Amino acid sequence: MNLVIPGPVPVPLPAPAWLLQLLLVFTFILHLLPMNLLMGGAAMLAVSSYVGRNNPHHRELTRRASRLMPPVVAFSITLGVAPLLFLQLLYGQLFYTSSVLMAWAWLAVILLLMLGYYGIYWFSMQQEELGTRGFWVILVTAIIFLHIMMIFVQNMSLLERPQDFYSEFMARSVGAYLGSLDALTLARFFHMLVASFAVAGLGVALVSGVWKGEAPEFAAWARRYGVKWFLAWTGVQFLAGIWFLLEQPTGIRARFLGGERLATALLALAIALAVLAMLAASRSLAASCFAIVGTISLMAVIRHLVRLERLRSYFDAHTLPVEGQWVVFGIFAVLLVAGLATVGWMLYKFFRAASAPTASA
Amino acid sequence: MLGGGLIIGIIAVLHIFVSHFAVGGGLFLPLTERKAYRENNPALLEYVKSHTKFFVLVVLVFGAVSGAGIWWSIGLVNPEATATLIHVFVWGWAIEWVFFIVEIAAAFIYYYGWDRMDAKTHLTVGWIYFVSAWMSLFVINGILAFMLTPGAWLESRSFAAAFFNPSMLPSCVVRTAVSVALAGVYGLVTAAAIRDVALRMEVVRYAAKWVLAGTFVIPLGGVWYIATLPQMAREISMGAAPAVTIFAGLSIFFSLLVVLFTFFGPYEHPRYFNLTSAFVIAIMALSTTAVTEWVREAVRKPYIIYDYMYANTLRLDDVARVRQKGILRSALWVRSHEVDPANPARSGEDIFRVQCALCHTVDGYNSIRFAVKGWSRQMIDYQLLHLNELKGFMPPFIGTEEERAALVKWLEELNPQPRTLEPSYPGEKARAAPQAGPGGAQR
Repeated sequence: MNLVIPGPVPVPLPAPAWLLQLLLVFTFILHLLPMNLLMGGAAMLAVSSYVGRNNPHHRELTRRASRLMPPVVAFSITLGVAPLLFLQLLYGQLFYTSSVLMAWAWLAVILLLMLGYYGIYWFSMQQEELGTRGFWVILVTAIIFLHIMMIFVQNMSLLERPQDFYSEFMARSVGAYLGSLDALTLARFFHMLVASFAVAGLGVALVSGVWKGEAPEFAAWARRYGVKWFLAWTGVQFLAGIWFLLEQPTGIRARFLGGERLATALLALAIALAVLAMLAASRSLAASCFAIVGTISLMAVIRHLVRLERLRSYFDAHTLPVEGQWVVFGIFAVLLVAGLATVGWMLYKFFRAASAPTASA
Repeated sequence: MLGGGLIIGIIAVLHIFVSHFAVGGGLFLPLTERKAYRENNPALLEYVKSHTKFFVLVVLVFGAVSGAGIWWSIGLVNPEATATLIHVFVWGWAIEWVFFIVEIAAAFIYYYGWDRMDAKTHLTVGWIYFVSAWMSLFVINGILAFMLTPGAWLESRSFAAAFFNPSMLPSCVVRTAVSVALAGVYGLVTAAAIRDVALRMEVVRYAAKWVLAGTFVIPLGGVWYIATLPQMAREISMGAAPAVTIFAGLSIFFSLLVVLFTFFGPYEHPRYFNLTSAFVIAIMALSTTAVTEWVREAVRKPYIIYDYMYANTLRLDDVARVRQKGILRSALWVRSHEVDPANPARSGEDIFRVQCALCHTVDGYNSIRFAVKGWSRQMIDYQLLHLNELKGFMPPFIGTEEERAALVKWLEELNPQPRTLEPSYPGEKARAAPQAGPGGAQR
C-alpha cells in the first residue's frame, strides 16, 4: 500500500484543536436539523403531493408545508458553512484530497443545489399552476437532494480512508471518482436518510400547532400523520442503525459495544433518547423534540469519535501548532450572541405581528 | 478542457454580479420603502414588494449557492491556498457566517413580513438586512484584498495585519459603490416591467440615479485602489501584459457604456425605457464585472498570495528546498518520484501536472500545446530556464536540471509535426535568424 497524505499547511491553528473540534461538532448539529427537515420534508411532500390527488388532507399538507421549505433550504445551506469551515481547518489535507479525487461529483453539488433550491421555490410558489405536475417537480427535487446527500456521504467516507487515496489517484483520471457502494458507505447513507425522514415527520407534527387556529381538524390530522411518520421511520432506523454499527470495522464496533465506557454510554444514551422520543411523541411533542435533538447531538458526537478513531493512525489534529487569535475569536463569540439575539428579536416581532390582526404597512 | 482557473472565474463572476446586488439591493429596498411612506405613494410601495420577491429569488438562491460554488471550486483547484486562507482567516469567515445567518433570516422576514408587520418594524428589518449584508462584504473584501496585498502580514503573521491590508479599504469603497450601481441595474430590470406608465417612469429614473451615483464613485475608489497595488501588478495592467491591458481597457469601456446608456436612456428618457434596454444595461454591467474581476485576478500573477505563494501553490519559502530536492521528490501526486530515464516525457507530464496545470490545460483554456507550438527543444528549454524573466506574470520553473529536461521532452512531443525551420535562441549561433520572427517568444 502506498500511503500518501498531504501535510497540513505551515500556518498555526488559530485556536486549540479541542475548541475547533467542539465548534465543528456543534455547528454540524445546527446544520443537521434543517438539513434533515429539508431531505425528509422533500420526500414527505413528494408522497403527499401524489396521495393528495385524491386526499384533501394530503393536498392541504402539501400546500401548507411547501411554503415553509424555502427558509429550510436557506438555513440548511447557511448553517452548513460553519462545519465545513472547521472541517477544512482541522482536516483540510484529507478533505481537499478526497474532494479533488471526486472533483466532478463534488462540483456537481453546486449545480444540483441550485436546481434543487429552485425546484423547491417552483413547487412552493406555483402549486396552483402546476396542478398534478407538481408531483413530478417535487419528486425530481427530492431525488436531487438525495444525490447531494449521497455525494456528501461519499466524500466524508473517502476522507476517512486516506489509505485509499493513492490507489484511487492511480486508478483513474483525477476527479473522476464517483464513490464506493461498499456496505459501510451504503449503511451510512441509509442511516442519514432514514433519520431525515423521521425528523421531518416530527417537524410536521410540530408545525401543525401553528395551523391549529386556522384549520383545527386538518391540524389534528397533520399532527397524527407526522407522529406516525416519525414512529415508523424511527422504527426503521433501529434496523438501519444496527446495520451501520455492524458494518463498522471490528475495533470501532467493539468500542461502542462495551469496549470503551464513554463510547458505549454515549451510544446507549442516544438510543435511549430515541426510544423516549418515540414514547413521548403522541403525548408531548416538546418532550419528543427535545429527546430527538439530544439523539441527533449525541450521534454527531459519536460520528466525530468514529472519525477520530478511523484517522488515529494517520493524523491527529492535536499535534498541530497553535497560535490563538483570541481577540478575533472574542469578536466572533460576541457577534454570534448578538446575531442570534437579533434573529430572535426579528422572529419575535414577526410572529407577534402574525398573530395580531393584519396591520398593513 | 476548461481548466481550474476558468471554472472558478465563471462561478465567481456570476456570484459577484449577484452578491453585490445582495448588498446594494439591501440598501435599495429599505430606502425605496421609506421613500414610498414619506411620499405616501402606495404604487411605489407595491413596486418595492414585487422587487423584494425578485430580490429573494435571485439573491437567496443564486447568490448563496454560487458563493458556496466559489468555495467549492477554489478548494478543488487550489487547496493549498484555500487552506492557507482558512488558517489565517477562520474567525473572519466565522464572523461572516454570523452575518449570513442574520442576513438570511432578515431577508425572509422582510419578504414574508410585507402586509404583516408594522411599517417601522418592517423597515428596521430591512436595515438589519442591509447592515449584515454589507458587513459580510466588508469581511470577505478584507480576505480577497489580502491575497493581492498581504502587506505587514508577511512579517507579523497577525490577523489584524492580514485583514487591514493596504488595498482593503479602497477595495471596500469600490465594492460598495459597485453594489449601489448594481442595485440600480437590477432596479431598472424590475422597474421596466411596471405596467403603470407614470410609476414606471418614476422608478426607472430613480433606479438610473442609483447606477449613476455608484458609477461616479467607482473610478475615484478605483484610482485609490490602484495606488495601493504592488508595482508589478500596476505594470501588468498598464502595458506589460497586453492581454491584461486590453481587459483593463475593456473594463473602462464597458463601464462608460453603462454610464452613457443609463444617462441618455432611463435617466434622460425614462418614457422609452423598456425591458430589453434594461437587459442590455445588465449585460454590459455583467461584462464590466467579468473583465474587471479577470484583471484583478490577472494582476496578482505570478502569485496566488502575493510574495508568499506562487500561482502554482509553491510557497516562496519552499523554493530553494524544492529546487535542490527536485519537484518530483517534493510532490505527492505523481506516478514516480524520479525521472524515468526510459520515458522522461512521462515524468515531464507529471511535472506539468504538478507545476503548470493550475493555470494551463493541455488542449483547452490557456492550452500549453498551443503555447509551445512551433518551438524547438532549445527554445522550450530556454523559456523554462528564464520563465519568470521572459513572462513576468509566470513563476519560475522550479526543479532540477534533469526534471527540466523531462518537461522539455514532454512539451516538445506535444507537437510532433516536423519543423523545417529552427528558430534561433541566445547562446546558439543563429542558423535561421532571418526567417524566425520574435512571435514565438512573445506568445
